[in-house]
Amino acid sequence: MTDILLKELDVTDFRSIRGHVHAPLDAQVVLIHGENGAGKTSLLSAIELALTGGVQSLRRADPGYASQLMHRSAKQGSVSVATIGKGAATYGATLSIDGIATSTSFDPTLASFFSERSYLPQALLGQLLQIYQDSGNGADSPLAKFVGELLRLDRLDAIEAGLKPLGDVRNVRKVVDGWSENELEKTRLDVLIKDQQVGLHDIIENIGIQMSAIRDTASALGVEVELDERKLDAIEQALSPAQDELRLAVITDRRRELGSIRRDVVRAAGADPSALGHEPSSDAYERWAATYMERYSALRSRIEAILPAMSLPGDMASFADEALRHLALHADQATSRAGKAGADAARLSAAENEIDVARSRLQAIGSEMGGISTSAGGLAAILSEVTALVDGEICPVCDRDYAELNVGTLVEHVHGKVRRLSSSAQRLLDLGRTNTQAQALFDTLEREIATLTNGIPDERTLADLDRAAVDANAARADLSGIIDALKEGSRLRAGQVAAQRAVTEAQSRSVALTAGRQTMSDFAVAIAAAPVAEGEDLGAAVERIQSLLDAENRLIEERLALLRKAREAIGIIGSLQSRADRLSDELGGHETALKVVAQAQQRAQKVRNQGTKIREAVDAIRSGIIRKEFNERLNRLWRDLFVRLAPGEPFIPAFRIPESETQRIQPRLVTDHRSGGAAGGTPGAMLSAGNLNTAALTLFLSLHLSVPKTLPLLILDDPVQSMDDVHIAHLAALLRTLSKEHGRQIVIAVHDRQLFEYLRLELSPAFPNDSLLTLELARGPNQDTRCLSQRFGFKEETSLLAA
Amino acid sequence: MTSSPLIAAIRQRLNEAGYDDLPTPFRMAGVEFQFTGALRGRHGRALDLVLLVDTTAGLFGDSDGARVRARIQALSRALDVTASRYVLTVVLAGATLPGDIDSLADTARVLHVDTLPVNKAGVPDLDRLEDCIRVLLPLSIPQPAANEQDGTAQDQLEKALKNVVDAATIRTIMDAAEHGDEAVTTAIASLIDMALVSEQEKA
Repeated sequence: MTDILLKELDVTDFRSIRGHVHAPLDAQVVLIHGENGAGKTSLLSAIELALTGGVQSLRRADPGYASQLMHRSAKQGSVSVATIGKGAATYGATLSIDGIATSTSFDPTLASFFSERSYLPQALLGQLLQIYQDSGNGADSPLAKFVGELLRLDRLDAIEAGLKPLGDVRNVRKVVDGWSENELEKTRLDVLIKDQQVGLHDIIENIGIQMSAIRDTASALGVEVELDERKLDAIEQALSPAQDELRLAVITDRRRELGSIRRDVVRAAGADPSALGHEPSSDAYERWAATYMERYSALRSRIEAILPAMSLPGDMASFADEALRHLALHADQATSRAGKAGADAARLSAAENEIDVARSRLQAIGSEMGGISTSAGGLAAILSEVTALVDGEICPVCDRDYAELNVGTLVEHVHGKVRRLSSSAQRLLDLGRTNTQAQALFDTLEREIATLTNGIPDERTLADLDRAAVDANAARADLSGIIDALKEGSRLRAGQVAAQRAVTEAQSRSVALTAGRQTMSDFAVAIAAAPVAEGEDLGAAVERIQSLLDAENRLIEERLALLRKAREAIGIIGSLQSRADRLSDELGGHETALKVVAQAQQRAQKVRNQGTKIREAVDAIRSGIIRKEFNERLNRLWRDLFVRLAPGEPFIPAFRIPESETQRIQPRLVTDHRSGGAAGGTPGAMLSAGNLNTAALTLFLSLHLSVPKTLPLLILDDPVQSMDDVHIAHLAALLRTLSKEHGRQIVIAVHDRQLFEYLRLELSPAFPNDSLLTLELARGPNQDTRCLSQRFGFKEETSLLAA
Repeated sequence: MTSSPLIAAIRQRLNEAGYDDLPTPFRMAGVEFQFTGALRGRHGRALDLVLLVDTTAGLFGDSDGARVRARIQALSRALDVTASRYVLTVVLAGATLPGDIDSLADTARVLHVDTLPVNKAGVPDLDRLEDCIRVLLPLSIPQPAANEQDGTAQDQLEKALKNVVDAATIRTIMDAAEHGDEAVTTAIASLIDMALVSEQEKA
């Protein structure tokens, strides 16, 4: 415990103090008086500045207050406080235009104690009073602010408010940039990994299915396989189809070979063996030839003689038909030629008669035409022209007068002449035409006669023709007689030829069949089947071997199909495995990434948790501090002090700490009735203005007293405005108690003169070494501030005597 | 001496608080003053002169306001005359006096004790009696328990989170707290961000 007492104060040009002021302070009680504006508050805040290096109440009002500290008229200023007692020292600060230049002050603990609990500036008192006016309970209520500032809870409040967003992850996302990103990344990876795990599981299941398929196939094929999905090559090797394919190729070849053999055999077997025994056909022909061949040959040469120009077919049947047709033709020709020769002869004689008539007619026409002038026509035309020129009876041609003749008129004469001339011309034309026709007929007849004369054969030829026709008809009759026999002969001959060809063919086929049988038998032996037995039907043998081969072929094809399936399965497994490997790789990568992200999140979460813990701790500490400060001890002390100053007031102010823990702990102001009973309302509602002032003052004193006596100083700046505000006598008694019984050095400033005088009396030294100092501040216009100090010492009272 | 139990109780309480009975009547500046009771403090309260006035069954005109006032004012003047620094406290015990008793406050500290408060058990309630004269009684300051000395908020915080949160984080947060809650939020956000980012950069 440090019993520091103030010794003296030196102030130069500080705030409203002008010039230099020296104030002794080394007394139990220092009573300061001055009119308003004389510099009381400046003097007290000078003490605060010197001891703490700042002025808290001014700082609250204006953070840049420091530059306002110096007196307006000065260029520099200073404050200095000397202390006595333990660790006596001098504290102070110098001021410049810019603010506080240098300072030597208390250590922070003492400084804050001074500011919080030793010095009651008017501003703080005003604030205390305000607490009662406003009954709000929120964090911004004046009470909350007062408590916060008094207990320096603002830092804790800032921590609590600042860390509040950590409680809700949505706010954390808002505040921390990377948080959402991290969360999203984690969610994404979680989903991705889950999907991939499912995919991987599916693939592994699929591989299992394929493996069991391979196992089934292997057992079906009777292959020993080590079913290890990591030894696909070995499995593939074991299930190699090469051998079977080779076998299949062999079988295919064999089958093809068999097919070829089979075709040969079928071809060989297709021959009609009955053709071999057709001997009768030949005999019939022989018999027929014996009967008819001679006749046929004779007839043929006869006919060939008749028809020398014809080339007749060799086959008897067609020869007969052809010869018959030609003979008929030949006969007809001969007959018709003979008939025509007769007709031509008759015509010739008729034509010779006709031509005689035509000749005589031509002679007649010629003679008539000779009598007619051939110029008649032309003359008639000229004369008709001349007619137009005839005028009168004078001839225009000869100029003779026709009238002289006296046979009519000249015109009629000319006209008549023209008419005559014209009719002669017409007759000539007709004759000419008839002449031409007669001449044409004549010519025609002449040509006909010539032709007929040439065409008519001679008698001998006609006789030959008749003979030829008779011969031809005779040959026809003969031929018709044997035509059926010839046709039968022809048929028989054809049959004979066919029979011979069939025999030849059958013989060659039989040879092939035998060879085929041998081949078949050899083939059967080659494929390790039973050879074709003697007497076994070749077809049946072929079928037997064919079915044998087919069966084997089917078997191998089935095997191959199985192998193909198995190998497909191996292929699928291979691709599945590579997919699985890829997926595993990706999965591994994602899991690593997830781990990284999750670790980052864990770390961030850890920091978040730490923040939350700090906040919880802050809350606890804050609650602890409030509980510690606003406890029953404070309430008892406050009540004691309040009752001292307001003994008549039935309501007592008190703090209550709400029991509920749900929200931030905050003391609440209430009033209790002095005689117990239910709590009243807030002090603002229950107390008079004077008692509110009393409550504020006693609260400050309680807060000062409720903690250990770190700094035994109480500095009150005009705590009461007049005698009426507070029971001043009681206040004086209280101050005396604090000063004289509890060792506090009290500095109190008042502006009320009466109050000053009263306090000077009340606070007079009561025992040796007790002391009182009064300071009177005065300042005239344009004068430096003056400070008059007066020291009062102890004086033994002698006036009281027993009666 | 009066036999009033109220006066007796007050006197007893004051005696216990270090006030000595003065013989009555006493003389001041040659004038004799008679009161039901008079006490004087010691040491720091050596200048306290307490006068007891029994307004209920008062002798010496105690039940008459005007006479009481006149007597007190006479005493006050006598003190002034002798330039005494005594401070007068008048305890009016009993019924409220008729007359202009309020003006007494100008010359002396006046305390009223109406009746002797009795609790439910019928025993005199000294606490309530003391309330009325509390200003005369010594102030007892209850001492805080030793374990309540926990140091500053930061010390407490570091102590509370010693094995839970590393000191650097606490210091960062506390430093940021000087600049308000937003600074705290920014500080913790950047701490979390650092925790998130650092590993990503490594990866």
